[in-house]
Amino acid sequence: MMRFLRTRPYAFALVLLVVLLIANIVAQPAFATPSNWPETLAIFAPFAIAAFASTPAIMSGGGGIDISIGPLMTVIDMVIVADLLPHGLGSPGIVVPFCLIAGAAVGAVNGTLVTVLRFQPVVATLCMNFILTGLATQIEGSLTPQGSTWWTDDLAGSFGPVPGGLISIGVVLLIWLGLSRTAFLRNLYATGGDDAAAFSAGVDVTRVRILAYTLGGLFAGIGGLALMAVLREGEAGDATMYTLVALAAVALGGTAFTGKRGSLIGTLFGAGCMYLITNVLSAARVPDTWTDAIYGGLLLVAVIFGAGLANATQARTA
Amino acid sequence: MPSSPSHSPASPAAEAGPVALRVTGLAKAFGPTVALRSCSAEFRSGEVHAIMGENGSGKSTLVKILTGVYRPDAGTVELASTGGRLATAPALRSPGAAIRAGIMAVFQEVLVVDSRSVLENTWLGADTVFRSNLSKAERQERARAVFAELLGGAIDLDAPAGSLPLSQRQACAIARVLLREPKVLILDEATSALDVATRDRLFDGIRRRRAGGMATVFISHRMDDIGEIADRVTVLRSGESVGTLERAEAGPDRLVQLMTGADHLAGGKSAHQRTGRPRAAEPVLGVRDLRLRAGAAPVSFDLCAGEVVGLAGLEGHGQDEFLRALWEGGRSGRVLRLTGAAQTPIRSARHAAALGLGYVPRDRRGESLFAPLSVQENFGVVTAGADSRFGLLSPATRRARLAAYTGSLGIRMGKPSDLITTLSGGNQQKVIIARWLAREPRILLLNDPTRGIDLGAKRDIYTLLDKLAADGVAVVMLSTEVDEHVELMDRVLVFREGTVGGVLDRDQLSRAALVSAFFGQEAAR
Repeated sequence: MMRFLRTRPYAFALVLLVVLLIANIVAQPAFATPSNWPETLAIFAPFAIAAFASTPAIMSGGGGIDISIGPLMTVIDMVIVADLLPHGLGSPGIVVPFCLIAGAAVGAVNGTLVTVLRFQPVVATLCMNFILTGLATQIEGSLTPQGSTWWTDDLAGSFGPVPGGLISIGVVLLIWLGLSRTAFLRNLYATGGDDAAAFSAGVDVTRVRILAYTLGGLFAGIGGLALMAVLREGEAGDATMYTLVALAAVALGGTAFTGKRGSLIGTLFGAGCMYLITNVLSAARVPDTWTDAIYGGLLLVAVIFGAGLANATQARTA
Repeated sequence: MPSSPSHSPASPAAEAGPVALRVTGLAKAFGPTVALRSCSAEFRSGEVHAIMGENGSGKSTLVKILTGVYRPDAGTVELASTGGRLATAPALRSPGAAIRAGIMAVFQEVLVVDSRSVLENTWLGADTVFRSNLSKAERQERARAVFAELLGGAIDLDAPAGSLPLSQRQACAIARVLLREPKVLILDEATSALDVATRDRLFDGIRRRRAGGMATVFISHRMDDIGEIADRVTVLRSGESVGTLERAEAGPDRLVQLMTGADHLAGGKSAHQRTGRPRAAEPVLGVRDLRLRAGAAPVSFDLCAGEVVGLAGLEGHGQDEFLRALWEGGRSGRVLRLTGAAQTPIRSARHAAALGLGYVPRDRRGESLFAPLSVQENFGVVTAGADSRFGLLSPATRRARLAAYTGSLGIRMGKPSDLITTLSGGNQQKVIIARWLAREPRILLLNDPTRGIDLGAKRDIYTLLDKLAADGVAVVMLSTEVDEHVELMDRVLVFREGTVGGVLDRDQLSRAALVSAFFGQEAAR
């Protein structure tokens, strides 16, 4: 047990996830009812994908971070609701490519700012955050745009027996799995682990980093779609909603902000934990005025404990 | 032809083949600092070609140009094509490009990704961004073969590289290069991290590949290693290639003579050189069993009032750690401030300052200079107490205190309120030194204080150190310049491989004796 905890950076989040699942089912037996799963997963999906999207930039090392993921998802959500659907462009053949291309393009711009123009990652992506938040306000105008179509409603519910949230999360995981069969993830891990060693061995560190941000943007595109499906509206105020909690989920999942270790599956567990903490708090009828404070406190303990465990691992192997 | 005073093309090394790599007139400067002036050399396939030179001779710069890290300001790099004809090398724009051209290097610094497995580290960089060229089974098999050759046994290919001992981590970096079958292999002090058995197996591996036509560029601080494996030696001095010797001619004396250029420096004694000062008997600082690195012999040392002690050696041999230990206290062993019969162990930098020590760090920009502040603020920052009246800083007092030092140190500046960055490097350094002198330290530690400053400022600092020593201040100064040791020091500790390899007293000091000691040789005099 201890060995498992020590050798896998995501192990702590996984154990915590199981504990929280049990706590949720105890506090709220309906949670385990299969008919509730599609809704639960649909609400969980945009948050989990925001956390996924934040992971590659951090894993690429060199202080990499992308804090424009939340606004990017919101802008994509709003363009679908305010521009595509009202003009009869709501078919999946148009909306899905739009999400992927727009997301990846913004990510590529971030990556270029950071690697080629050598902006500090926090500064570059904060500027992008502001730009996208401003864009979202522009699109929103005076009336909050609303709308949905048959297949986005299925995404918020289920396609036949398959929950829609499972599909959007699954697509991201499948992309990652596909990449793990190429050399890209090895190059990404090496670049994050020690960029000097990777560079001297001939890894194209610049391209790997640009692609890491691009991949994060691509995930954010999928996340924007999942967000749109569940909200059925586009509100600029949502732009800041996911930014910081997504980073917390990444940390909780055992990914180091130095880039030296991390995994996408850890981020999934981390996001799951955070979702279940809020859920169990509301199930336990904790007053709304207290939930944020308790949530923050629990998160602090979890992140510190998880990081401490991972550092102990590092110290042993160093 | 490269400038080769050896004039002995008639005795080629046994299997030496055609020229694999030729550099002609390479030059590289960083701002005003000239790292490489004019370097020319030919590296033949099937030879081991050593590069020797003291600190700052341009060895590292040459290697960084060949591996695509730096681009030369002038000069050409020619590489043999498959037909054996030399052609101007395709632009060596990055290490990746150099590796594709067949030039691969292993460095002193062990460049492995600790968090990734041995197998991944061994094949690091062999893929393009997405495509991997070999199956996993093939990677494993070939990695096992190279590790068997290097380590004489098996290794756990799935273990994280960080869990291995240093020698095996470096073996990963070497295996990575050997697997890709380099045309030109560069070992830049790469053997210092290896244990003896692994080093011997590496040398055997190089000999086998030499027979297969590989050219090896070999840089080492161990004269014995060079004697064991090198076919020819090219010597660099002050960024210039000053000669290429065949193995038979490359005796230690001849090499040291070439490295120091003793023939054109009048025996290595220069004008400023002081006559030895009578050493005051009173010790002020004691080092007891200080171990700088695991496995290195401990160092013990006494510093006396009024003496100037130099710390010398090729870069990275422990002199920096030693000086820092004097300032911050040692992690193993003790550093004692001695006053009469009292012995006080130094616990931290703050404690050292309170005990009358002062430290001028090496990296002016990073460690000691406050670029956004003025000259007077930079001067007064550690002695702010002397300028404060009722808790408020008095600029007038500070100006007056600074004025005393601008005169004695010859600091050339506009107004004391000008930004420190408006001063030349030498004058910035004088302000930093004045900052510590204002505390009136009894022991002054200087980490390469004259690095990158002009000759006039250097002279001013030498004069100042003379004066301080005459007043009974003990000075310990790390310097990368051999001349500085010869000119200035009462005693020089020469560091090798993390410990003091030799101590040279005033009357033994010469360029030749120092450089010999750097390479582990007895003074050749």
